[in-house]
Amino acid sequence: MNPDMNQTELPVAQETLSKMLDQMVPANADDADIYIEHGVSESLALEEGRVKHVSASTHQGMGARVIKGELSGHAYTDRLESPALMDCARAARAIAESGTSHAPIAIHTDKPQHQLYQATNPALTSSMPERKELLEKLDRLARNIDPRVKQVFANVSSSFSTVHLVRMDGNLLSDSRPLVRLNVSVVVEQNGKRETGSAGGGGRFDLSRLLEGSEAERLTREAVRLALLNLDAIPAPAGPMPVVLGPGWPGVLLHEAIGHGLEGDFNRKGSSAFAGKIGQRIAAPGITVVDDGSIAERRGSLNMDDEGTPTRCTTLIEDGILTAYMQDRQNARLMGVEPTGNGRRESYAHPILPRMTNTFMLAGNDDPKEILSTLKHGLYAVNFGGGQVDITSGKFVFSTSEAYLVENGEIKAPVKGATLIGNGPDVLTKVSMIGNDLELDPGVGTCGKDGQSVPVGVGQPTLKVDEMVVGGTDS
Amino acid sequence: MSHSKDRKTDNMKEIASRLVEMAEKSGAIDADALAVSDTGENISVRNRKVESVEREDSCGIGLRAFVETPDGLAFASASSSDFSDDGMRRLVDQVIAMAGISAADPDAMPPSGAEHPTADELAAWNEKHQVESEWSLEAAKQAALECEAAALDYSDKIENSEGAEAGFGRAHVAYACADGFQGEYQKSSLGLSLSVIAGSGDQMQRDYAYSRARQVEKLKSPELIGQEAAERAIRRVGAHSISTRQTTVVFEPRMATSILGHLISAINGRSVLQKRSFLSESNGQVLFPEFVQVEDNPDHPEGLGNRLFDGEGTRCKQRTIIDSGRLTGFLTDRYAAARLKSEPTGHARRGLTGDTGIGSSNLILHPGKIDVDSMLQEIGDGILVTEMMGFGINGITGDYSRGAAGFLIENGVITQPINEITIASNLKKMFSNISHLGSDLTWFGSTAVPSIAISDMTVAGQE
Repeated sequence: MNPDMNQTELPVAQETLSKMLDQMVPANADDADIYIEHGVSESLALEEGRVKHVSASTHQGMGARVIKGELSGHAYTDRLESPALMDCARAARAIAESGTSHAPIAIHTDKPQHQLYQATNPALTSSMPERKELLEKLDRLARNIDPRVKQVFANVSSSFSTVHLVRMDGNLLSDSRPLVRLNVSVVVEQNGKRETGSAGGGGRFDLSRLLEGSEAERLTREAVRLALLNLDAIPAPAGPMPVVLGPGWPGVLLHEAIGHGLEGDFNRKGSSAFAGKIGQRIAAPGITVVDDGSIAERRGSLNMDDEGTPTRCTTLIEDGILTAYMQDRQNARLMGVEPTGNGRRESYAHPILPRMTNTFMLAGNDDPKEILSTLKHGLYAVNFGGGQVDITSGKFVFSTSEAYLVENGEIKAPVKGATLIGNGPDVLTKVSMIGNDLELDPGVGTCGKDGQSVPVGVGQPTLKVDEMVVGGTDS
Repeated sequence: MSHSKDRKTDNMKEIASRLVEMAEKSGAIDADALAVSDTGENISVRNRKVESVEREDSCGIGLRAFVETPDGLAFASASSSDFSDDGMRRLVDQVIAMAGISAADPDAMPPSGAEHPTADELAAWNEKHQVESEWSLEAAKQAALECEAAALDYSDKIENSEGAEAGFGRAHVAYACADGFQGEYQKSSLGLSLSVIAGSGDQMQRDYAYSRARQVEKLKSPELIGQEAAERAIRRVGAHSISTRQTTVVFEPRMATSILGHLISAINGRSVLQKRSFLSESNGQVLFPEFVQVEDNPDHPEGLGNRLFDGEGTRCKQRTIIDSGRLTGFLTDRYAAARLKSEPTGHARRGLTGDTGIGSSNLILHPGKIDVDSMLQEIGDGILVTEMMGFGINGITGDYSRGAAGFLIENGVITQPINEITIASNLKKMFSNISHLGSDLTWFGSTAVPSIAISDMTVAGQE
């Protein structure tokens, strides 16, 4: 449809980049880079039985950055023409004292250390009419599953973005990043009472893989099941109680409770509740949490982060002891540690921040059934919406979308959505059982920080937390 | 760091019109287009030193085109930042091809024929709403440094700073529609914000203060913002959880904006016609106590949401949304209005791609007559919420559950800071349970609200 659909070539001449480096990098800079990004995205959305919304966007732009100590200068433009680029390079430099420039820097290309996903546009294997047909099929399926289904919303989106990163030394690294996502949500109605349920999945792989086979159908059935379940939900309890969390997406607990607090910038600045706690116990024995951006085809994975550092598996908590923070290059340099491949930006027009990739807890030894059976009076929370954290006080929340009241190890009734609140620095010390059933989420996570959104993954085995405050209405 | 005037901003209106013409020549039966340009500069300081300087310069074009099919009209949209002739050609071809794939909608509402403002009204508007001169980066830097210093010097209880940020942004938006309407406007805003930390170790508390305005003179002074952030952080130190209870929750104005936001989502005409809102059947009903009055005002001297026309070129008008507690109607674009058999209210909101959405301009919840101290006296016991976390709101049922922090109110006065609590109820019940509105009307960008007291909410805590 668009001749540029599979473009991964550098859209700027190498000589221009070389000239830009000359203009922007003073001799006393600690670091500097040029980030060029271009890509396409497409979205088809169905509502009221029809795929009425078809849209696409093409984007490109450049971000130039110069760093000296704690100081950084940034300039962004979406005009990839020489005068605008040079203007940008000079603007980024403005933070540093004037000084002699480097000798001319030659550009040399390098390859990222791994290739975790395809370097082609994931949308090329599924035509728009095919995608449209699939969404219509899912609409019919949802309505056929149960006559109480009154509305179906389904959306399939794909993007393909290529990042070219030029380091201060002229090293040029590129990463082409596919990303696909399918989401289905339904509205059900019974006796005038309405409820909703939704399910989604995706990752860095071909759209055809997401749409063919049984996955799309499974997501649709899941959305209907959740909506119908919610019709019968009773008010959630209010107050402190033990909570058993299901495997997979409930790992959003880790993302909020400890993940953000372990990002390097907050710890360098001493604003995180975890600052200065390396080597200390912050979780029960048996708990190991990692951030791993190097898992093939996961939504949170990258071949290299947005500073060209190869992604890797970083152990954040080992057997309950805090072992590392997640770092970008600037914060790593200032804290005297190695960058961990966590320097990310939403786009060329945003600054780099230390961010999570795929954050999850490794499996333990307990049988999930046995974990549930030990719950005398509490909540079994299987699915969640989003969460949030105050990294300074350590307080965090996440909201259930599928949860049950449990009495003496038996599921009594589904409960309405409720917010769970806890204290990040000690919630993991209250984990008393760890399941042997580690799961990663289905590929739907988006994390926000300082107004920037990036795709992430989470995961965990079934967990029992001895006490959390459940924010229902039934006190 | 001065920069040259963007060559693109000179002919944005022409670019938008040209896209529409090209789409019509390529077979579109109707079309509209946007051309947008944004420039901005931002500086952040921390611990009395400059930490980062950012400059942005971006622009984009977006086209929505309608084509005729045997089943009715179908449309598609696309955006790009390529203003070249080839780039515009590609965009048009792409949109026309995608519109051919899109399903027809018997209720499709092409943009032509909206009730547009006249050329005179456009000229008068742009005359009245001239863009103010930019903040220089040096002035922004001084403001940020002063702001942070005011907090750091306020008390030695301020142990750390997350820094102050000052910035300036300008947007130029041009819209063109196949019926010949062309409109453009410029918008600018300045912002100054600060976040500081009081206490240390396990008793660190962070809070912030900020101000946004169109003109430097309207911005709160750096000293006031610094002191406010410092006071807010300090008074939170020592917070702890409380026992679970049913009680009155007072939302300070900063938090009360979200309550108004939930109302606007629930009366979004598109959500209503898809029965995705808990207020789908509430048109004309009394939802609030009689003293509640909510207004949408697209031309207010304090508001940052001023606009003459909406995302479809429809003229915006002042509107009373809640009149003596009664919902006067839903907010609509032309599509939702047609389906709901009402008049478009001028609330279409449009980005570069996608269909139109719906949103308010400047939203004002009229204040009450009682000052906050007297209000707390009347309430007696309850909690004051100064921070909320999480997204536990079900738009289809109105069920509400969020994390919160704030202060305990005992015998009519604030006694201690609290946190690690949740507040829960149902929005419909919360609307009707508003017991007081304070006299402390406060503007936050495009929303103005006073303190709101809501009785009978569930507060859950650690006991």
